[in-house]
Amino acid sequence: MKVSFHWLKEFIHIPDDIEKIAQILTEIGHEVEAVERYEDDVVLEINITPNRPDCLSVFGIARELSAYYGVPIKFPEYNFTPDVIDLNFNVSIFDPDLCNRYAGRIVKNVKISTSPEWMRQRLEKSGIRSINNVVDVTNYVLLELGHPLHAFDLNSLKGNMIRVGTPKTILGRAGKIKTKTLDGVERQVSDDALLIWDSEEPIAIAGVMGGLNTEVTENTKDIFIESAHFNPISIRRTSKNLGLKTESSYRFERGCDIKLLKKALDRCAFLIKNIAGGQIFGKIDIYPKIFQPTEINLRYEKVNTVLGLNLSKEDIDIYLKNLSFEVESDDERVKVRPPSYRNDIKREIDIIEEIARLYGYDKIPTNMPFASIGIDDQVSRQLSLQNSFRERIRNTLLNYGFNETINFSFMSHQDLDLLKIPQEDPRRKTVNILNPLRVEDSCMRTTLIPSLLKNVIFNVSHGNRDLRFFEISRIFLNENSSKEQVKDRLPVEIVNVGVINYKEKVKTLYKEESHDFYLMKGVVEALLNACKIKDCVFVRTTEPFLHPGQSADIYISNSKIGFLGVLLPTIINDCGIKTQKPSISLFELDLGKLFKYHTVDIRYRPFSKYPYIERDTAIVVDSNLEAITFQNLIKQYPTDLIEEISLFDIYQGANIPPNKKSVAFRIRYRALDRTLKDEEVDTLHSQLVSFILEKTKGQIRM
Amino acid sequence: MLEEIKEKFSKDIASITSLSDLNDLRVKYLGKKGIITSYLKSLSTVTPEERPVLGKVLNETKLYIERAILAKENSIKEFELSNKIKTEYIDITVPGKFVAPGTEHPLNKILNEVVDIFVKMGFNVEEGPEVELDYFNFEALNIPKDHPARDMQDTFYITDEIVLRTHTSPVQIRGMIKRKPPVRFIAPGKVYRCDADISHTPMFHQVEGLMIDENISFSNLKGILISFIHMMFGEGVPVRFRPSFFPFTEPSAEVDMGCILCKGIGCRVCKQSGWLEILGAGMVHPVVLENVGYDTERYNGFAFGMGIERIAMLKYQIDDIRLFFENDIRFLRQF
Ligand SMILES: [Zn+2]
Repeated sequence: MKVSFHWLKEFIHIPDDIEKIAQILTEIGHEVEAVERYEDDVVLEINITPNRPDCLSVFGIARELSAYYGVPIKFPEYNFTPDVIDLNFNVSIFDPDLCNRYAGRIVKNVKISTSPEWMRQRLEKSGIRSINNVVDVTNYVLLELGHPLHAFDLNSLKGNMIRVGTPKTILGRAGKIKTKTLDGVERQVSDDALLIWDSEEPIAIAGVMGGLNTEVTENTKDIFIESAHFNPISIRRTSKNLGLKTESSYRFERGCDIKLLKKALDRCAFLIKNIAGGQIFGKIDIYPKIFQPTEINLRYEKVNTVLGLNLSKEDIDIYLKNLSFEVESDDERVKVRPPSYRNDIKREIDIIEEIARLYGYDKIPTNMPFASIGIDDQVSRQLSLQNSFRERIRNTLLNYGFNETINFSFMSHQDLDLLKIPQEDPRRKTVNILNPLRVEDSCMRTTLIPSLLKNVIFNVSHGNRDLRFFEISRIFLNENSSKEQVKDRLPVEIVNVGVINYKEKVKTLYKEESHDFYLMKGVVEALLNACKIKDCVFVRTTEPFLHPGQSADIYISNSKIGFLGVLLPTIINDCGIKTQKPSISLFELDLGKLFKYHTVDIRYRPFSKYPYIERDTAIVVDSNLEAITFQNLIKQYPTDLIEEISLFDIYQGANIPPNKKSVAFRIRYRALDRTLKDEEVDTLHSQLVSFILEKTKGQIRM
Repeated sequence: MLEEIKEKFSKDIASITSLSDLNDLRVKYLGKKGIITSYLKSLSTVTPEERPVLGKVLNETKLYIERAILAKENSIKEFELSNKIKTEYIDITVPGKFVAPGTEHPLNKILNEVVDIFVKMGFNVEEGPEVELDYFNFEALNIPKDHPARDMQDTFYITDEIVLRTHTSPVQIRGMIKRKPPVRFIAPGKVYRCDADISHTPMFHQVEGLMIDENISFSNLKGILISFIHMMFGEGVPVRFRPSFFPFTEPSAEVDMGCILCKGIGCRVCKQSGWLEILGAGMVHPVVLENVGYDTERYNGFAFGMGIERIAMLKYQIDDIRLFFENDIRFLRQF
């Protein structure tokens, strides 16, 4: 909100300069965001928090300064004697819950013209366009006192009456109705929106905007000025439904001063008569339920314990008095009645904040709490284990040279289309956003792969090469069976790790290392190793976006924890990556499941202090025999002398028949309790080899 | 006789330069038909009285030859190895085969720093869902439907009752429900607002903090937060508390620190004010404690929250928030 320093000084004697005032206002909770300097004035741009509608005016700011300095304020001139007492005008409130008070005055024979220079300048400095003297006065009083007013053209208003009510009450039927507002827009108003009506039709949307049919124009002679108090929630709903925010609705929805509205009305009439002439008529004031201030008990002791201060009863009483709170005090407590404009003061703690504010937050001493020793409850313990587990995963990836990324949690079904993910896949059951910023961000991620793929595409298009990215983030799965979202059932949030590796054929000084699949598998194995997970199984993948021959699904105890492999070249193509022989390999793991299976219970196993004996053998087997089968066979062999199995060569080509391959392996034998003899190992090894040959129908490679 | 053999051997061995010649020499003297061997064999032909004397001398000679051959063998090996090394020189100015270590994302780096400071002050780490019930995100925090404070946060809706959390504050509620007081935790995480421009992204990160105990005062809130700012930004940084409004705290405060870029003189980043807004905080509103069933006469406490992007931008002097989410490798590698 903008406040002119000159205008401010009309209400209160200010002993300090503008810089000091800006600082004081900030210190008491009204942050001054900017100071605009004009030739003859300075304007403060103040950020008023939503709980303080009483400060949305020049007078309101003056009142705050008066509380700060403890000096009185002057109310602007508003007294006059009405020229005519008799009124032939009727106001009735049909929805008293939505309108607590409705006052108005008639001014006849006004002369519509432009406003005086000083008024126009003040309006413009506050960001309001000058229209004509009558409308300008209503806006001027709004800025000055913070109460929204509206002037109707009396002669366009039919039936000499005003009715306040919703279409439902006034018309007795449900359904939207149409009305044209001052801005010339025809608006659909819902049947529970509060409207102002004459004897025939709506003439204003209460508290939001006047109607075009009763606009004050250059031909207007007589006016009716409205000053009312509307229900904040009702005004807010109407304003939101219409998408129409005005200076008036902004104040009404935050709450206006029900007592001030009469003075604001008279101030307005007074100024109109002074500026536009005319005769002021008697007043209408429908005020069915008189304002009753809240009564709050404040314990003096509580002020000091909450703030960490040592204020005396007298100190506190002075603050309360400066705030214009009505007080009745005894030794221990004080009964406080806040004024009608402080509808934010509802309980003891609100008054304590007022005292803190005026005392100055910066003057409150700084002390570390005397707290009980941090209790590491079981809830926190479990979380901290999970966090350190994630950190371990993260550090392993960092050590392997992957750069950590963070992406928005959004995606769209198009991203899943690109990955050829079928409709019945659980990843299609997305959490959808009703009001996304872009279609591309219309649902929550169910996999991290699309984001990582986009990171690669972005980087490649910026000429970056050799990319290794990972992200550890949540994915969101809708576990409802139906496609409909259950109103208040939350989705499942799972922390996943996604890893991507982008390579292209480049000339290099060094020999190319392993196949991309093995490279990424090595990283997966490193992660599994870091969490001490052993019984992990890699089977051919079912993921539609991965190369069927070079990818795997990863299982632990029959539960799929993720996938790993090489992205289909066709998808790389669909991504628009046009570099030389690009290849993308990736994996994604469910860290929740990994956490479940990771070993916390580490138990020491003794190892042998005796020497080992190694034997190498190469056998020729069917080329589709997988290494895992081979290793499992050896593991099955009934002996406890095998310490380690390693494959050191897999070969197909010259000297090997077609559809066959040679597998060379080395077995390390060792006993826990004695030195093995060569002859013993020879026998054992040849029996083992025969066993393998029998099971694999293989042959010794000569 | 034996002296002659020794002399001849010394001559022979001196001229040898290769291991194979050395081996021939070994055979010549020590082989089955070698000179020493044949002498040893001939021992049987001498008289029993002479045998021990001759035998002793023969053995000494054999030992002498063996040692000399071994020494020669070692020196040849050493020589050959040093020759081999001379041929194995590579160009040490060719760049190494380098795999750059990965880099932490700057936001996680800052987040971890913040978490670390509070954990050392005895705070636990708590989490909550990012897709959250309206109740936890707003209502339990004293922000009823139709309250103007809802305008402070543009919300993404999933249903009427489900939102993407607009702040980490709902974790306060969930965390308190799960525990009995005293409670002390922080809750780092992602939050969402329906807003995107140069200084706003629809997703960003916050760290929330909560401390509930007996006799906690506003002065303690200042104590904890000033320590935090000093640990995060340096001991001498000035800190300012000013009144503000959050529906779930009362009294509420905005915490500013002296601009670390211009040292308070005024610059573009601090909008010439010399101050930077860094934290929102306050004493937990009694309504919030009542909502989780805590005894408000016995317990009270404070809560605070901060934006991680803002801290990271200040610390690393990053001027565009969108850089954090583009994940350009040239950006990521700098942290
Ligand atoms: Zn600065």
